[in-house]
Formats: sequence, structure tokens, C-alpha cells
Amino acid sequence: MEYILHILIFISLYTILSQSLTLTAGYSKLLSLAHAGFYGIGAYTSAILSINYGWGFLPSLLLALLITGVIALVISAISIRTIDDYFIVCTLGIQIIFFSIFNNWQGFTNGPLGIPNIPDISIFGWLIDSKWEFLIVSSFFTLLIWWLLNNITQSSFGKVLLALSEDEIFTTSLGKNVSKAKITSFTLGAIFSSIAGVLYAHYISYVDPTSFTIDESIFILSIVIIGGMKKMKYIFLATLFLFVLPEILRFVNFPNSVASNLKQITYGIALIVVIFLGSKR
Amino acid sequence: MKLRNLLTIHSMQLIINILITFSLTLLIAFSFQLIYQATKFFHITHAIIITLGSYFTYLFGIQLGLNLFIAILLTIICSTIIGWSINKLVYKPLVDRKTDPWKILIASLGLYIVFQNVISMIWGNNTKSIRTWEIVTGNEFLGAYITNSQIITVVTSVVLFLLTVIFLKRNRLGKQILAISSSVELSSIFGISIQKITSYTFIIGSALASISGILIALDTDMTPTMGFNILLYAVVAMIIGGIYSYRGLIFGSFLLAITQHLTAYYLDTKWMSTITFILLIAFLLWKPLGFSGKKLKKVEI
Repeated sequence: MEYILHILIFISLYTILSQSLTLTAGYSKLLSLAHAGFYGIGAYTSAILSINYGWGFLPSLLLALLITGVIALVISAISIRTIDDYFIVCTLGIQIIFFSIFNNWQGFTNGPLGIPNIPDISIFGWLIDSKWEFLIVSSFFTLLIWWLLNNITQSSFGKVLLALSEDEIFTTSLGKNVSKAKITSFTLGAIFSSIAGVLYAHYISYVDPTSFTIDESIFILSIVIIGGMKKMKYIFLATLFLFVLPEILRFVNFPNSVASNLKQITYGIALIVVIFLGSKR
Repeated sequence: MKLRNLLTIHSMQLIINILITFSLTLLIAFSFQLIYQATKFFHITHAIIITLGSYFTYLFGIQLGLNLFIAILLTIICSTIIGWSINKLVYKPLVDRKTDPWKILIASLGLYIVFQNVISMIWGNNTKSIRTWEIVTGNEFLGAYITNSQIITVVTSVVLFLLTVIFLKRNRLGKQILAISSSVELSSIFGISIQKITSYTFIIGSALASISGILIALDTDMTPTMGFNILLYAVVAMIIGGIYSYRGLIFGSFLLAITQHLTAYYLDTKWMSTITFILLIAFLLWKPLGFSGKKLKKVEI
């Protein structure tokens, strides 16, 4: 039972991550491979604040959002000057820089050893120390972000994003500020993903750089692409699929190491198949 | 004081290290650039060809116990066939359907993930080595050390690069590659077979990449993920140097090698990748045309 709860919590965290990337990658066509980096910034900020400075959950969450937002703002302002495949390569570089900072800035992030003993969440005196309670909190955030993203994508701003992903010059000619819309969408996506980071840090009670690698970024982007890049519902289903699949593989008695490889092979094939299906004329 | 230290004791070693990184990066960036010129998408699975260069040598040379030269020959043939068939089976159908380059990049990334995990499943995640010979200190050269395999790396890479460039300059193929990279429609009007030229670039590119994989295996251990980082560095070198220029490629690889080793020397080896990618981003921003001045596609709208 505990194990099922654990999987459910992870599904809720990854729903946040993939849906927030959907705003950036699906709507404004900024396929960022730096998403795990922002996830990591959220996790590290909250870990450092609650351990070194004894901050509570809510204040550290707010500051983590703020810090991620500022960093994402700067990075998007830089990286949106490139587009399409060059944007992907650019964000790939940014992701590697993030990882290297997590891994090597030892005075701050404690390097490869990571930061242990992150306290449990307590909200207004309610200490969340069981998986049940944590699942309630993380589902709350997941639903909240789902609702927010649905509203954002259906608002006029969402339409601008859709328009610019189809034709930037035409959108500009309609008097829309394309780069501002891109920066906003990138920053919002990053901010939402850092919420997942904060939750992750408090749930596992330990952060280390290996959770925020380029593989993680590719995995999140794969969920978005497999989920069809637009509808939040399908993104959720894709997340569900990619998390339930390894459990099925475990169930049919594949050894653990092979199961993780098979999972990656499955989403690799899924990516190719999705691109093939999407390109049919 | 520090400067004098650098100049007297370490300068030679530093130059040799820069030379080794430079030559390998140059070879890989060149093999990648060749394919990029013809196809205009990022062939990320190229990283696997490098990795396979190492692992096939391990398979044929160590596991099957063949003579090292036969093993190397078989490695190059097998990796080239794989590179060629990736183009035939995956990219060509996508290109025929006029898929956007960034979508092909994603498909290529998926293919990379598949291959990398297959390699992990076959050979395991731990490091493997083809170096059965005794480890020696290397030859002393003006106060610095360089091993035999490093000399082989430098010489082979530079010679292969020069030979291929000369071959392309002398041969129609080089001009045809440049022609389809500047306009696909116009070149097909002039009777250039796009498919054939693209296949050729995949064959030459994959052969060069597998050779670079073998060279890496001669010097260091191999892991299933080894190709990815090396390829990324090479892509950085290519973007810095510009897409169409061989001279730019030399400059880009050189700048990359210098940056990496000066970072390693003054800061720490662990910051090498950070500084490299800061260099890439700086280039994408301030010199989006690359050093050669030729257009990097679509960076400016």
C-alpha cells in the first residue's frame, strides 16, 4: 500500500512537471530541455532555506517560486533569441550548466553528497508526516496547477501563444508582443515546475544532483510529446502511462536493472512513433 | 609568479592536452557537420555511432579475441552500416513527409535513448576497456608527457580530417553537398540526387565518428553514455565555427579546446562543461552567424 501511495505521489509531481512544460513547449513551441533544472532550483532553494535558515514550508515555497521566476526570466530572455532546433540545443546547454552548478558548487549545494534531513512539511501547524497526508497536499497542488494552466491556455494569452507557435511574423503583425509572450510562457512553466521541486525535496527529505539531470529533462519533454503537447488531460494520461508501465514490467518479473532500461526504450520508441504519426500527410 | 610557472613547467603539457582535445573535437565536429550540411537537422544519434565505435572494438577485439586491426576494420564497417541504415529507416521517411527539423531532432533523441539503453543491456553500465596492454608513463616531450595512443589520436584525427576535406574539395561530392545544403530544390533541378548525397554524408560521417570512438577507447574507458557529451562539445565547436566552413570548424574546435583546458587549469576540471556551454550560449547570442559569417539558419527572424 505504501508503495502504491509512493507511485501516486510521483505521478502527481510529474503531472505538475509535464503540464507546466506543456505550457512552454506545447503552446508556445519552446521545447525546453532545461525543465529539470528549474525543478532542481525549486528543490534546492526549499532544502537550503528550511535547513540552513529554518524557514517553514509556505515561506520557502514562495521564495523558491520567486527565485525560479527571476532565473527563468533572465534565461528565457537570453534563449528565445534562438528558435526551433537551436532553442533545443541552447536549453540543453543551460540544463548542463544547471546540473554542473548543483553538482559542483559544494559550499552551497553540498555537491554530489546532496542535502539530507529536509524536514516534513507543516502547514499552519498541520504536520504532514505520512504518505497519505502528503498525497493529499501534492494532489491539491497538482489540481490547482492543472486548473490554472487550463485557464491560462484558454485565455486570450493562450491564444496568442498558439498563434505565435503557428506563425510568429503573422502574430507580430496583429500587434501582439511575441517575445514578451514567449518569455511569460517560459517563466510561468518554470515557476510551476519549481513547485514540484519544493514538494519533491520535502517528500524525499533529501536532494542530490542526480535527480535533476539532462535525462530527467528529456523524460519530462517525452511525456509532453507523447501526450500530444496540447491537452492537459492527455498529458496526465501520458504521465500515468509512463509511471504504470515500469510497474507492469516489474510485475512480469523483469529484473530491476533491465526494467529501467526497458522503460527508457519504451519512451524512446514512443517518441519516434509520435513524431512519425504527427508527420503523416 | 603564476604566469611564469605556467610558462615554464606546465605550458607544454597544457599545449599537448589542448592539442589532443582539439583533434578529437575537430574530427567529431567535422563528421557531424558533414551530415548537418546535407540534412539540416541535428542528428543526435550520431553520439551512438561514437559509442559503438568503442563498444564494437571491445566486442571484436576483446570478447571475440580477434586481431586488433581486423577488429577496428569490422568496427568501422558495422558502425557505418548502422549510421547509414538509421538514415534510410528513420530520417528518410520523415524528411519525405517534410517534417520540421526540430521534430526530427526529437525523433533522433528518442532513437538515441533506445540505442543507449540497448547498449546498457548488452554490455552493462559499468566501464569497459580495450586496453589490455600495460599502462606506461608515456613519452617525455619537452618536459611534458604524451602516451602513444594520444599521439595516434592526434595524428589520425588531423590526417583524416585533412584527407576528407581534400577529397571533398577535389571531388564532385563536396560541391554537391554544399549545393544541396544551400538549396534542395535548385540542386534537384540540376540533377543532383538528394538521397544519394545524403547517404554518402551519412556513410562518411559515421565512418569518421566510429574512428573517433575507437580513438577514445584507446585512451580512456568506455560507458554507454560516453558519446553524448563528446558529441555536444563537437556541436558547440560546430556552432562556433559556422555550419559551412571547414576553417571555422578548426577555429571552433581550437577555441573549445583552449577554453576547456584553461578552465581546467585555472578553476577546476569540474567546471569544464559549465564554461563550455556558457561559451555556446554567448555565441548563440552575440555571434549568431558563427565565426565564418555565414548564416546560421533561422536564428534571426
